[in-house]
Amino acid sequence: MTKKKRSAGAVTSPLIRRPIQRRFAIFLLPTFVCFCIGFLWPFLQGLYLSLNKFTTTSNAEWVGFGNYVKAWNDPGFRAAFGYTARVAVVSLVLINVLAFFVAYALTREIRGSSLFRGVFFVPNLIGGIVLGYIWKTIIDSVLPVSMSIQAEYGFWGLIVVMCWQQVGYMMIIYIAGLQAVPEDMLEAARIDGANGWKTLWYITLPNVMPSITICTFLSLTNGFKLYDQNLVLTNGAPVRRGIGATEMLALNIAKTFSTANQRGVAQAKAVLFFILVTTIALIQLWATRRKEVQQ
Amino acid sequence: MSQAVKARKAALPEKQSPGKLALTVLFAVISVAWMMPIIIVLYNSFKENGFVNANVFALPNRESFVGLNNYVNGITFGNYPFYNSAGYSVYITIVSTGLILLCTSMAAWYISRVNDLFSRIVYYLCVFSMVVPFQMVMFTLANTARELHLDTPWTIPVVYLGFGAGLAVFMFVGFVKSIPIDIEEAAAIDGCSPMRTFFSVVLPMMKPTLISVGVLEIMWVWNDYLLPYLVLDQTKYKTIPIHIQYLQGSYGRVDLGATMALIILSLIPIIVFYLSCQKHIIKGVAAGAVKG
Amino acid sequence: MRKLFAVLLAAAMLLSMMSFASAEGEGKVYYLNFKPEADQAWQALAQQYQALTGVEVKVLTAASGSYSTTLTSEMDKKDAAPTLFQIGNAEGVATWADYALPLDGTELMQEMTTEDFNLKNAAGQTVAVGYCYEAYGIITNKALLEKAGYSVADITNFESLKKVADDIHARAAELGFDAFTSAGLDGSSSWRFSGHLTNMPLFYEFRDDGVTEQPATVKGSYLNAYKNIWDLYITDSAADAKKLSGYTGADAEKDFYDGKAVFFQNGTWEYADLTGKYGMNPDDLCMLPIYCGVEGEENAALCAGTENCWAVNAKASEADQKATLDFLKWVVTSEEGTQMMAEQFGPIPFKAAKASSNVFFNDATEMLNAGKYVVTWAFNYTPDVDNWRAGIVSALEQYSAGAADWGEVEYAFVDGWATAYANTH
Repeated sequence: MTKKKRSAGAVTSPLIRRPIQRRFAIFLLPTFVCFCIGFLWPFLQGLYLSLNKFTTTSNAEWVGFGNYVKAWNDPGFRAAFGYTARVAVVSLVLINVLAFFVAYALTREIRGSSLFRGVFFVPNLIGGIVLGYIWKTIIDSVLPVSMSIQAEYGFWGLIVVMCWQQVGYMMIIYIAGLQAVPEDMLEAARIDGANGWKTLWYITLPNVMPSITICTFLSLTNGFKLYDQNLVLTNGAPVRRGIGATEMLALNIAKTFSTANQRGVAQAKAVLFFILVTTIALIQLWATRRKEVQQ
Repeated sequence: MSQAVKARKAALPEKQSPGKLALTVLFAVISVAWMMPIIIVLYNSFKENGFVNANVFALPNRESFVGLNNYVNGITFGNYPFYNSAGYSVYITIVSTGLILLCTSMAAWYISRVNDLFSRIVYYLCVFSMVVPFQMVMFTLANTARELHLDTPWTIPVVYLGFGAGLAVFMFVGFVKSIPIDIEEAAAIDGCSPMRTFFSVVLPMMKPTLISVGVLEIMWVWNDYLLPYLVLDQTKYKTIPIHIQYLQGSYGRVDLGATMALIILSLIPIIVFYLSCQKHIIKGVAAGAVKG
Repeated sequence: MRKLFAVLLAAAMLLSMMSFASAEGEGKVYYLNFKPEADQAWQALAQQYQALTGVEVKVLTAASGSYSTTLTSEMDKKDAAPTLFQIGNAEGVATWADYALPLDGTELMQEMTTEDFNLKNAAGQTVAVGYCYEAYGIITNKALLEKAGYSVADITNFESLKKVADDIHARAAELGFDAFTSAGLDGSSSWRFSGHLTNMPLFYEFRDDGVTEQPATVKGSYLNAYKNIWDLYITDSAADAKKLSGYTGADAEKDFYDGKAVFFQNGTWEYADLTGKYGMNPDDLCMLPIYCGVEGEENAALCAGTENCWAVNAKASEADQKATLDFLKWVVTSEEGTQMMAEQFGPIPFKAAKASSNVFFNDATEMLNAGKYVVTWAFNYTPDVDNWRAGIVSALEQYSAGAADWGEVEYAFVDGWATAYANTH
């Protein structure tokens, strides 16, 4: 527990570094080559296509930054920006708070806790589209009007489904974090007469910070990239004055891809989207990593 | 943790305080609600198509119950045998996940131990790749895969390794950074080659992360629709999600009963997988992720 | 240095894999089919042809909702792109203009009985031939109508339709059935209203204005007629107008074959299921034109047209193009081909076509023989089809639930069209 973590620069030593470096072709090359095939090369081509007008990728015509201008001038895209941010932030908070408290409760030796863990974990084993349909039916039947009419219902419906699918995975991560909180620190706090909430706030939370980092990172990127559930639950409806009130960025981009002569614009939107998510994810990682206690 | 504390913890479930009992009851109720959507899919898979959407909550009754008809219809639908789709799905999922785990764990070890400019660039590219929407690369990826003749189930794991490397490398690097270097140094002094050090020292320590990454990759590959649809030669190879999509006719017409049946069938391997390694998964996901 | 070398070596290996020899010689056919329902029939026919002539025919059917993605992806295959694909409307012609071979003067076109369903490019050349046609209107259960005390002859325009429907709806509890099936706005049903029903205001507006090519804007001058008929659909039915997105196409179909509703807006393609799978008596069925309160609509026939047109890939090799055209000619002239087309698509506009037993088509022909005017598929001009329709569906849903007024539908129809056109041009 008291082992000192080496700083990031010291995760290696010349003794083991050189021999590994000589095995580049075995260790790094296969992954790197596949990464080039499966991501890097298609991604670079995608960047190039965002500056073109195209029907198929082999039939492209250079238009420069025109696609970016069009993408930014699309009011639906800008509206989707705001809505996506709202969904991402609210789901981030709710998923993590719920997952944390479920984890907290389930680490207190209550009867059946391993069964409950399993139950919470199962939904994220199942793909999004499939159960989205059932969720849509369930939610719409308990509401006075359907989610695709009342944008607020659509928003909260989406949040409910996201929580259902993601709380389990995050819960497991928090359980591990909670179990790693040093027992002696908790004991000391108890002896000092700190109440439950104080212990939670001053001892437990700082110690589960690594869990919080990874969970917030995962739920934030999940939130921004969300597509399946958005498509199934409301498909962006209600549309008011041509703008889908519950349309998230990924859905907006996918719809643009299916529009004739708009593929280049869709590609440009995807690049803008990528830049946004990368920036936010990096800021979030930087912010939470700072708070992690060095053990 | 002292013996006394352990003993106290072991004894606890025997005499539960009222508060904890209430928690158990609360969680039991939540658990039932939590499983409800899946249970609904299950019993709707025994209802005739016309009765599914008409009242999705209704249990099958004498009028709507069709026995295993939906399962038979789903399996025999179209001219592509379902067991082929299932076989390809299982094969692709297992091989892709295996390949991803093996290659990216090795790559991650290289990246964190060598830590030169090139490996740092690769690492950051991997992190970036996690946030790229699939649509941005779908046509170009399908095209590249095709030109390299990767459009068969035997070769598509290469594409999965490439597109899925980001998350895996990210999580493995996080883990490797946290394991002490002393053991590897000792192995090196004893004259172990990097290969041996990796497979007999590093890989066993990575087990929790292997499991947590493995779970994520299995779920992704098993449920993935668009990537195999675009990459595989559809006249020859289909997977289960593609098969389910083909149950839908033009104009969105769909046999819901058969769809539910196939969904249940496609869940079985996942549930079996989960139950058979439940312990490892829960522990593994937790330990692996926290280190990341 | 070693590393760089290794990377370069790997790259070189990849490049060498990319350059592969392509087989030249005999032409072959690769058909990208749009209708999942017809997949098996096409596969069987392809095999027959292959056995007969030795020409390779490959058929790939796109999964539902994935046709345009599939086409985009498949067309990228330099040596193995589809030689035969489908274009459904004006937007398709514009998108795939570079890929659609002009077909005027081919033997295939000489076999056609009408060119009404073909699509032309900007230069006026025929680039896609409509290989089947469909008609839609209000499918009516005559037996139920008689039970309610009416006959088909009582319905000649919107006014009389409304009178009958209102009366049946008012007596629904006593009769045990209602006037209309649910007007579901689920994805499996909404196209009946955002696509087919919007054809009514579009058709009349284009007729008045003499529009013969895709217009940049529409005025919505007949939207009041659209409102008439939509109001009727949602008022005179048992479905909850507040939750229309929860009703699927299958629900409406079930209302109809269970005898719970008299009227069902749908097309000739429903015939096989209604009389086959659900065992309805063909004598009880007929199809009425959609009446919506337009001057002179007593003379309207059914809405007839098609979204199924063959296009030949202009970028395929000449041998492949020839093989493809030969195959198509065989499909529309041979015994096997015409038999399959009749079973799958009903009547087809080719000389050797087999007769169809579909009563809805007989209704269509009768109306034409009586000198009525065909309501053509004006909606084939719709720009950015999916998004325009999605806007209409959402507006209809909000309007029906009382969450928005009719202005929202007007906006989706008129402004939505202008936006969709601007986006795609």
